[in-house]
Amino acid sequence: MTVSTTTSAQPTYNDTAVKWMVYPAIIFMILGMFFGVFIAFNGLVFPDYFSGEYVHFGKVRPVHVGHVTLLWLLSANVGLFYYFIPRLCGVPLWSTRLAITSSILWWATLIPMVYSFPLGTNSGWEYAEIPEFLGYIPTKALFAFSWILTVINLTMTIATRKFEKMYVSLWYTMGTMLWTTFTILVGVWGIWLVPGGISRVNVNFFYVHNLVGLIFTPMGLAQAYYFLPKFANTPIYSHKLSMIGFWTIAFTYAWIGSHHILHGPISQWLQTTAIVFSIWLFIPVWSVVYNLFSTLRQKWYLYNESVPIRFIIMGVIFYLITCVQGPLQALRNVSEITSKNDWIIGHSHISLFATFTFFAIAGIYWVIPAITKKPLWSQRLASWHFNLSLLGSIPFIAPLWIGGFLRGMLWATWADGSTYAEYHANLAALPFIDTVAEMHYWWMTRAYGGLIILFANSIFVINMYNTILLPARHAPQEVTA
Amino acid sequence: MTEANNKKGFWQSFELSALVAITGIIVLFSSAVIVTLIAPNFVDPTWTQPTTPYQVQMHEISDPNFYISSSPIQPEEIQAVYHLKNGFTLLAFQESYTTRILASKELEKYVTRYQSSTPLKLTSKVLLLRPPADKSKADALQKELNEEWKKSNPKETSPNFVILELFEPKENEAFAVAPTDGVLEDWVDENFVILDKNNQHSYHNDPGVIFINNPLEYKVQYITYFGKKGWLYDPAGEPIASLEQLKGGDMGFRSRQELIQIGETIYAHEGCWYCHTDQTRTLVQDVVLNGSDSFPAPPSSPNEYIYNRITFPGTHRIGPDLSRVGIKRPSRDWHRSHFWSPKTASKGSIMPAFQHFFDEDPRGSSVRTTGIPNYKFEAIYQYLMTKGTRITPPTQAWWLGKDPINTINLIEGARSK
Repeated sequence: MTVSTTTSAQPTYNDTAVKWMVYPAIIFMILGMFFGVFIAFNGLVFPDYFSGEYVHFGKVRPVHVGHVTLLWLLSANVGLFYYFIPRLCGVPLWSTRLAITSSILWWATLIPMVYSFPLGTNSGWEYAEIPEFLGYIPTKALFAFSWILTVINLTMTIATRKFEKMYVSLWYTMGTMLWTTFTILVGVWGIWLVPGGISRVNVNFFYVHNLVGLIFTPMGLAQAYYFLPKFANTPIYSHKLSMIGFWTIAFTYAWIGSHHILHGPISQWLQTTAIVFSIWLFIPVWSVVYNLFSTLRQKWYLYNESVPIRFIIMGVIFYLITCVQGPLQALRNVSEITSKNDWIIGHSHISLFATFTFFAIAGIYWVIPAITKKPLWSQRLASWHFNLSLLGSIPFIAPLWIGGFLRGMLWATWADGSTYAEYHANLAALPFIDTVAEMHYWWMTRAYGGLIILFANSIFVINMYNTILLPARHAPQEVTA
Repeated sequence: MTEANNKKGFWQSFELSALVAITGIIVLFSSAVIVTLIAPNFVDPTWTQPTTPYQVQMHEISDPNFYISSSPIQPEEIQAVYHLKNGFTLLAFQESYTTRILASKELEKYVTRYQSSTPLKLTSKVLLLRPPADKSKADALQKELNEEWKKSNPKETSPNFVILELFEPKENEAFAVAPTDGVLEDWVDENFVILDKNNQHSYHNDPGVIFINNPLEYKVQYITYFGKKGWLYDPAGEPIASLEQLKGGDMGFRSRQELIQIGETIYAHEGCWYCHTDQTRTLVQDVVLNGSDSFPAPPSSPNEYIYNRITFPGTHRIGPDLSRVGIKRPSRDWHRSHFWSPKTASKGSIMPAFQHFFDEDPRGSSVRTTGIPNYKFEAIYQYLMTKGTRITPPTQAWWLGKDPINTINLIEGARSK
């Protein structure tokens, strides 16, 4: 089964739900990037220039993370689900009214939660910072409820579908819906059921890794598998290979949470288990990368012609890099150098920005002209958007890796000596603070890279909103939905 | 493309492979949850069991009954008050060369006399020290001690001998001050005896116990200061009537347990954990950096965290690791100036200033350059001071037997080849 065959006998699709999710998400992407640039400068380059209880690094960082993970990426992904799941099933969304209800609940709980962090509502668990309560309103539970409504809506759409065979994007979607629900339940509420201390840390790292691995990865891959064949108007290279990728993800991801705390206060056998399963990750990654590249194998000229294809292919390349890093970082001796410094920050930005944000952006380039039935406002701006995004990515991510790696090497090798006392004295002679100073120029380069990316995506937002709001500049082309 | 029959029921519309897939996903996911999240709690005892009785007693006995506040009139002086409970708190009345205790005949057995060979006497009966009511007895003792000093040290001025009287308050509980650093507690694990065998709490049977040495009755004086009501510690003032009064709005005492919990919450809210890790890893770089100049620090063990509500092992070390900060930086003054202005206190630091942990000095003329620490500072300070200080009792070398990576051999053995 290929995507191209699904275009026959189209029912009419109501895309209101897509608009409810995607339109605000685009705005929050740019806000999230702004907060990122702000902390890059105010936290690290000109430390504490804007000082005080509500603007210091520790208070604004979760606002940045809350924006880019939840308000932008997760929301945009759900919006794209609302677009392509009905089309892969050949039926309209099960209930547009339910989708609008869940979207209102989604934004009404998520926005106040993310913006409340500077007031002191951070709940203290990585990626689960959003507060249980704001005042007397159980915001986190309401947000989870909104997710459940979304899952019900999409599941019912799939259950009532007309096309019997399920395309790989649907597999990933169904996987995501199951995994996300479980992951949120475990990470957000299950964490309080285990004893305090390292048991909760273990649950948290399970949740942290699954948030990336079982939510953003399958969501992003579902988009790449849907939109790349769409843009290239060509079938996916191998459905079987995509299934291998899917099942190996299902098999490995849930086991590897504790590789975040290698050498740390957690049982050695658990660390070893996590390492072994981390190595397995090479399988889903290579299968995905090979499959997507091969899809374009006869049509590489499209890379030059289409901006979204460039976003997807660059996203795949970055995905390859991030997923080569991932299993290697999970090795004990590599982790000794790369862990606990900016290398990890580089790793998380390449996956959430340069991979999954690129995929979502490509999807939006398809979806917005399709649902507004107008051509893209400006192809040239789109081209600039891609070029600047890619150009910005290099000074954005590379300094984090290089600087982080050098700092890690400094920590591991700064001391020497033939006796313990001499060793300790050498260690104390190079104070920790000097390794902070080492990072200054790397952090500065990163901040300027971030500025370029902020600028590039401002162009994207302008382009998208001009497409949405302004009358079409060109004669409307035939838009295939 | 074949289309499914729309008249099929809900369940029939799922093909078998989809059901198999969903079941498969659930089975794979749950097996991972069982093995990696649930099993370790039962397999590895260090995840749930404490390291030493000291750790347990600090948490269960000392923290809830040690209260901290500061007078609005003398905010520079931190007040640390013990809440003593009959049949619970262990007290020692121990003489030293400069501290002497007067006791009536019934109370004589509770005093560990200077230079006596008896083991340390502990009691769970509520008794207190106070300045002697009968001045003549005290004066006579003072004179005797001074003469004794002059005989042995004719050229030096005699020290200030403190003479206190032991008495039994009428209530079953009392409030007391005692010499303390506010972080570690007095601990005895050999050569002690607990009197009152019929008045025992279960922790008294532990191999070592936390006790309070020479508690003095805590009394305060209420005064009005520039139209503002306030209170001051005054040995001649009124005693504290109840715990409610101590914790009430006027005095505002909080137990160390409450402060540690508030501190943990502040640590979460302020995002300290984005830049600081709380784990000494099993790596030479970590144990040596957190260790002393003669011994490496023990790597963090799961049981150090068992009393946390939230644990912050951290993923990024922009600033240094904090898992041993209670050992490395115990000074309250250091933390005070560091939180006020990290860039000044530690040159080259990029840490933000935390001046909202301080209030303005009500007198408007502080001799200090920092503000007056408020409860947020006390809370974060007490929270940080739990890091590394509770692994072993203060009487034991904390690094002994806790070097799984064999650091010294690794460093010295590797070079000698």
